[in-house]
Amino acid sequence: MGKEECKTMLDALNKVTACYRHLVIALGSTSDSQNLREELKRTRKKAQELAVANRTKLTSLLKDKTISKEDRAEYERLWVLFSSSMDLLEVDMKRSLEIGQEFPLKVPTRHLIQTGMTGSTTTVAARAMSVQNMKYEADSNVDTADLRDLRSEITQVSQMMEEMEMKVQVAPWAVEAKQEAGAELKSNMSVGNSSVGVISICEEEPKEEDGAGGRDTGFATICAVAGFVIIVFVAVVLGYLVINMS
Amino acid sequence: MTIRNTLRDHGQRYRPRIACLKKAEKVLLEMQDPKTGVKSQPQRLVITTIPHAITGEDILSWLADRFQIDTQEARNFGSMLVALGYIYPLQDHKRLVIKPDASLYRFQTPYFWPTQQWPVEDTDYAIYLAKRNIRKKGILELHEQEQYNRLHKWMNHKWDFIVMQAKEQYRAAKERKKPDRVVFDCQERAYWVVHRPPPGTVSAMDYGLDRRIDPNADEEKTPDFYGRIMIFTQQSIMRPRVKSSVSIGALVKYCATYNGHDPFLSKCLPSNPWITDDITYWNLNMPNVEIPTKMRVERWTFSFGELLSDPRGRDDFRLFLKKEFSGENLAFWEGCEDLKWGTAATMREKAEQIYKSFLARGAPRWINIDGKTMEITVNGLKHPHRYVLDAAQTHIYMLMKKDSFGRYLKSPVFKDTLKKAVCPEEHKYSDAQLEQNAKNRRPSLSPIVLRQQEKEHRAKMAANAPVDITQVMSKLSKTGKEVSPCRRPPPPAKT
Repeated sequence: MGKEECKTMLDALNKVTACYRHLVIALGSTSDSQNLREELKRTRKKAQELAVANRTKLTSLLKDKTISKEDRAEYERLWVLFSSSMDLLEVDMKRSLEIGQEFPLKVPTRHLIQTGMTGSTTTVAARAMSVQNMKYEADSNVDTADLRDLRSEITQVSQMMEEMEMKVQVAPWAVEAKQEAGAELKSNMSVGNSSVGVISICEEEPKEEDGAGGRDTGFATICAVAGFVIIVFVAVVLGYLVINMS
Repeated sequence: MTIRNTLRDHGQRYRPRIACLKKAEKVLLEMQDPKTGVKSQPQRLVITTIPHAITGEDILSWLADRFQIDTQEARNFGSMLVALGYIYPLQDHKRLVIKPDASLYRFQTPYFWPTQQWPVEDTDYAIYLAKRNIRKKGILELHEQEQYNRLHKWMNHKWDFIVMQAKEQYRAAKERKKPDRVVFDCQERAYWVVHRPPPGTVSAMDYGLDRRIDPNADEEKTPDFYGRIMIFTQQSIMRPRVKSSVSIGALVKYCATYNGHDPFLSKCLPSNPWITDDITYWNLNMPNVEIPTKMRVERWTFSFGELLSDPRGRDDFRLFLKKEFSGENLAFWEGCEDLKWGTAATMREKAEQIYKSFLARGAPRWINIDGKTMEITVNGLKHPHRYVLDAAQTHIYMLMKKDSFGRYLKSPVFKDTLKKAVCPEEHKYSDAQLEQNAKNRRPSLSPIVLRQQEKEHRAKMAANAPVDITQVMSKLSKTGKEVSPCRRPPPPAKT
């Protein structure tokens, strides 16, 4: 059904927008690198494909005059979701252009801001592209050609947004949200995708003095349990040997 | 760059340029230099170590060295950088100041730098609050909770998007390694402390009103543009010039005269209501109070304008003029003011009324203006507009100022008022009494009530029929005596 398709596509666009934002935040800092710029490019392209697909689908659905009132309300809600996503994406793209120009990579003395972030953003990009591993091409035009492409993409997106506003008559303020306040607490957050060991769900406040309080006990327990298991195993092996010897 | 942020803002509001931002960014970049920049050290948390932490004292010594300034200045500069959001503190994250000790700071990522072009969106704040809600399991700080509820109400149509985006961003953040995640959370939190400050925090991000034209846009050179430049320069040439010695002298004289009367610069008797929550000062200085304060009466002597603009002063002056039988001047002046500031619908009527009472030949309260002004006014009254009586009003004003004002200041009426004027004693409140005052604060009268009172007062004044000069003259001729003081109308109504 059109609605379900729309929803899945919107979810995908939403995911890509969130990942793109994470990548843009890392621009200009010490975790910036050629890989990051390439990840940004790929994520952007994916976002644009999804955007175009979403737009065609939604416009065709909304132009249909024969749909019922509830359906129309639902499509309008999806439309507001789509346009908000596109707003965020557009702003992020413009900002990435600005920051990318300010912090070029191929200059002899790079002055990247020492923000404390040193890890790579591969996993985030992989999540955006829905692939297991990212493969990078050695692209050398990261400062010039890439930014030129970005500029044209931004104009494309802006044009698309203008067209959207002209063609589709949806009053965004008339849409009523389905979620009430605090809805984000209700669903279960998926845990397992992190790459650092077993991390408990309750993420503590990044308090610098207390450090990793809750997580600390978790990790210590696991260390203790693992140590215990190893000791028991060694004891069993030794006991076996002793029994064998005697 | 040809891409501009024309956020589809159909209200066409543009943020003004904040000039210090570009300069601060340059300083920030200099600080990053591995050789000549600020020394960074790793921050040791219990399990992880995060690099690129800098101490407050290192920042301050670098600033003092680079700009050749003393430590206090370096502290101010450093605090400004923190308040703008380029550097954030790792401990005590809500106080945006630089401490000159070993407390740690870190540089903010360029995405979270303050910019003129990219206004801070409520949508982003809502997403941040939703993420924080997830992480803190529904226990937000008080001001955050209030903002959350407010945004939920006003951005309700986008709320689905906000919830979805918050969840996705939360999940995407989990993809990174632990130290990076901690850094990211700190960065985001610092960003929102700067741009949505908790209550009681001073914000460096106040930039005043939005502008109507885009400060980043180049103005196109149309003939109209050059026409405006020409008009401006022509007017500048034609402007009358005053010697700076004269204008500065006038400024100094004004400051010296009003210095004692300014509640910011000198003591406010009995006490400043904004500070001690005691409204005696306002009660003593009401527009229609019976006994004015000494300071108020002193202000009347400064200039005629001061006397007229103070309602109590005007009443006193009116009293004096009634005794002198030249009340028609003030009445005419007040009538002209009424015409100037009144509603357009009543203008014609008012103008006719004034003409009949003051300007026509044989009018009951005829005012004495010279022939030329009278001619101009009478001609103008054929097509009355708001400012038709301006020339006559100015003439009468100057007459009163040169003649009656001087006599007023020497008159028994004024001397009497001055003698009766009250000089309240200063309040000396202890802390406990101040708290008590704060508890006893009550709202003042509603403006609707005040306006009604004003209307009643004006009606009463109008009802006290003005002393008709013909009546007075007839009475004089009949009795042959001086008109006794009991003809004086009753004193102004008390509130």
